Amino acid sequence: MQSTDISDHISRRYNADLENLRHKVMTMGGLVETQLANAITAIVTGDSELGLQVARDDYKVNRIEVAIDEDCNRLLATRSPAASDLRLIVAIIKTITDLERIGDEAEKIGFLASKLAAMDRPTDSYRELKSLGNHVMQMTRDAMNAYVRLDVSAANAVVVEDEEVDQEYETIVRQGITFMMEDPRSIKRVMNVMWVARSLERIGDHAKNICEYVIYMVEGRDVRHTESDGDDG
Amino acid sequence: MSDARRRLIIGLLLLLGGGAFLGWLYGRPELGLLAAALVALVWQVRLMFVFDRAVRTGNFDSIRYGSEFWSQAFSRIDKLRVRSQKHKKRYRRLLKEVRKSTSAMPDGAIILDNKFEIMMCNPAAQELVGFDPRLDRGQRVNNILRDPEFGAYLQSDDYSDGVEIASPIRDGDWLYCRLVPYGQDQQLLIIRDVTERVRLNKMRRDFVANASHELRSPLTVISGYLDALATDASVPDEWERPLSQMQVQASRMTNVVSELIELSRLETAGAAPTDSDVDVPALINTVCRSYEDQIGVPSIGCTLSTDVHLRGSQTDIESVIRNLVSNAVRHTPSAGSVTIGWIRDGEDAVLTVVDTGEGIAEEHIPRLTERFFRVDKGRSRAEGGVGLGLAIVKYALSRHDAELSVESKVGEGSTFTCRFPASRVLETPGELTAQTG
Repeated sequence: MQSTDISDHISRRYNADLENLRHKVMTMGGLVETQLANAITAIVTGDSELGLQVARDDYKVNRIEVAIDEDCNRLLATRSPAASDLRLIVAIIKTITDLERIGDEAEKIGFLASKLAAMDRPTDSYRELKSLGNHVMQMTRDAMNAYVRLDVSAANAVVVEDEEVDQEYETIVRQGITFMMEDPRSIKRVMNVMWVARSLERIGDHAKNICEYVIYMVEGRDVRHTESDGDDG
Repeated sequence: MSDARRRLIIGLLLLLGGGAFLGWLYGRPELGLLAAALVALVWQVRLMFVFDRAVRTGNFDSIRYGSEFWSQAFSRIDKLRVRSQKHKKRYRRLLKEVRKSTSAMPDGAIILDNKFEIMMCNPAAQELVGFDPRLDRGQRVNNILRDPEFGAYLQSDDYSDGVEIASPIRDGDWLYCRLVPYGQDQQLLIIRDVTERVRLNKMRRDFVANASHELRSPLTVISGYLDALATDASVPDEWERPLSQMQVQASRMTNVVSELIELSRLETAGAAPTDSDVDVPALINTVCRSYEDQIGVPSIGCTLSTDVHLRGSQTDIESVIRNLVSNAVRHTPSAGSVTIGWIRDGEDAVLTVVDTGEGIAEEHIPRLTERFFRVDKGRSRAEGGVGLGLAIVKYALSRHDAELSVESKVGEGSTFTCRFPASRVLETPGELTAQTG
């Protein structure tokens, strides 16, 4: 009787460890989402203080990434997980890298927001950036929701969504080039806008990656680089 | 009941006795006994099967035969079954009513267990935060409501206040979340849409800030010309008094406007930075010194029993000290005294300003930090107070997670205490680079 008690206890601890780990990833996700939302608000409202705040707070994301990484290593070493548990941990290790990158891009956007706030604002107050930003924000949120619910169909939807984001990015770039040709004085500002758009587009890619890990985690199937029969490496 | 049991036993004994007697007639009583026992056994086993089938199928109508004992047992079980079905029906109806009433609630209600895992939520909660009742059961609530502020609220021990967070599904919407523990290890999370309130609050703040900024520029012009006129020798003498009155009032208005601007800045600013060093003892000394040469003010003393610094905003802490001291000085006769203290109380750091002035009646204390609140309407205005000082102190302190408390006795004086939590105390100054401004 006693031996089963102990094994029960151990597996319960193990479950709790995995659950806590997952929860930490979601906490990190929440932090990154907030950072991103603030960065976008800073751009749209021209709030340089908020932008700098985002840039300053990036260390929190990095700190939590390191903590999760350590937890993963400890679980791998002490529990030697197999099958779906192993996939969960591997996916987490990959996910936090992408989340951390999203945090970095948000930091960049925040910094650029504080620079843009000091320059002339266009009459449309960065409507395109706002639309792209909201799109990317929604993708990140959906990716995290798919992650927490292990919802493959939602994850697939995000992967598809990324193409729209890429198109929106293309439009902004083309528009920016037109602006710069029309009025060379705007080059400095438009370059910054393009950097922001570029960062947002990258965030979309990272959200897509996270969704691919969800599919990997649930189905054990790697869907990366499958669209073109794997010849793009 | 015992009657039936007795009759069953007697019947069995009679059967066995009869069998033994028949056997004895043929010279083999043990075989007769065995045969009787077998008959009894087969009969009872058969009844057992019937019973088992009835329990399994729930159909008790087919078994109204057999010996009295068994049929009684059958009917007793049947009665229990009917009763439990009635209970079940009642509970189901009750549960339906409860469900209906929680679905009718305009606020989101989510039942959580002790690990914050979702057990049940009503449709309003699904709509407000996008819970999926199918996928999210058993999920930790802060895996889905991922706002860091909400996470920190769940981790804290004090749930009495609630938090306001941005809606995770609609941009620009605000939700108020509050956790109510009940029963054993269960908690109810209530979520309310407060977008309208947040919007109105913001409109009010924006209005005050904009109005103050709009007032400031004309005021600068007015006081500029007033200053020029007051020093102009060609202005007739009878204008001297009106001019000086106008100057006084203009400067008073400038003070009001700049304090309003300061207040709206403090209101919109988030928590003060934790990575900059505020040298509180030095600030206290500076404030003390600024009163040294003035005539007609009470004597000002300092008790610095600790030299810890704070993490926070230098400007804010300085304005806290200045406002508290100037308040105390204004309400203390020149024969009295004002003492500024900086002490450690356990882990916390405490700033106190004690005066021996006129004191504040108890009923006024809760209203002290309201904007433009005055205990004595006529008096303090004459002495140059604007009426925003303590409101500024309150907001500046709340940016530093600190609390203001006031104790006072009419005629004996007042004590203003600002308590800074351990998280804001900087034990080893120099660990952070000092920041000015």
